[in-house]
Amino acid sequence: MIYSLLVLSSPVSGQGAQTAAAFAEAVLAAGHTVRRVFFFDAGCYAGTDLAVFPQDETDRLGPWIDLAEQQQVELVLCISSAIRRGQLDATEASRHEKPCASVHPAFTLSGLGELVDATANSDRLVTFGG
Amino acid sequence: MSVTVTGKKTLVVIRHTPYGSSLARAALDAAMAMAAFEQAIDILFLGDGVLHLMPDQDSAAIGVNNVGKLLASLPLYDIDSVYVDAASAAKYRIATYDTPIAGQFLDQAQIQQLLSRNDHLLGF
Amino acid sequence: MVLHTLNASPNSAAFRDCLAAIAPGDALLLLGDGVYCVRGATPACEAILRCGAQLYALDKDARAAGIIATPDTVTITDMTGFVALTARYPRQLAWY
Repeated sequence: MIYSLLVLSSPVSGQGAQTAAAFAEAVLAAGHTVRRVFFFDAGCYAGTDLAVFPQDETDRLGPWIDLAEQQQVELVLCISSAIRRGQLDATEASRHEKPCASVHPAFTLSGLGELVDATANSDRLVTFGG
Repeated sequence: MSVTVTGKKTLVVIRHTPYGSSLARAALDAAMAMAAFEQAIDILFLGDGVLHLMPDQDSAAIGVNNVGKLLASLPLYDIDSVYVDAASAAKYRIATYDTPIAGQFLDQAQIQQLLSRNDHLLGF
Repeated sequence: MVLHTLNASPNSAAFRDCLAAIAPGDALLLLGDGVYCVRGATPACEAILRCGAQLYALDKDARAAGIIATPDTVTITDMTGFVALTARYPRQLAWY
């Protein structure tokens, strides 16, 4: 079965975003495919490469990087949600004359068309909010 | 980009207030994007989401888009149907004749049936 | 048939809206703050048990919250079980 995930939860508030990453991992382990993870609204903070977590807390970015690099899962941040939250890749940082990129390269910034495509071409769309 | 029309039906469920968080605008943006790519898309205003349908909204002084005006423009976007949780609308004294966009008011059983008729449910 | 996932405490609007939207044959998975809905012998738990859905709670969130004893009709599930539920139910609706 083809899955896509819609992540609205902030990675630093509640368990929603971490549950989403573990869910994606379990979807693949069950033999399904993940077409795309689309991060929207506060979910876009998931892509930040600049956050620093205390050593006694789990790393919020690592599970997503593993999914992208080891399982080739496509991670897309909604560009309009992302840039208003300071989540910029190198292209956007240069376009908007900001001092640096803040998004990890495992993520791409793109428009809502990627969410539309995910709904049109997935058997399951699973949303994580709150 | 273009998106193939695969015949999947999506329902966007809007449950949060229009000006209290960024979720509401995200939901409307998602619905309008679906419609722009010619996907079958309906909207359901549920619970506090029915507050999107308040008459007389004027958001000029808070510096964000007027949600009432945005909703009034939805017919231009080919959103198939707009549904409203009738019980919540009644609780907030929102009447069918007074909303910025015409919607079908549904009771609890009709809402349950609507959820089961769609392929994807996007809850905002 | 809908898989409802509830990530909100029993005092929330999400809890009330979710319960009203559940139809016979649906399933309800409690995760995050939603796990407090199945603390036994509470009004929220009584309401949940009457809602007509198959009931599940996510193990890691229940353990974190201190929800250790749940009614027999609530199945404690892990991430693999969560995936299986999304495969069994054709659509999911997130409440939070």
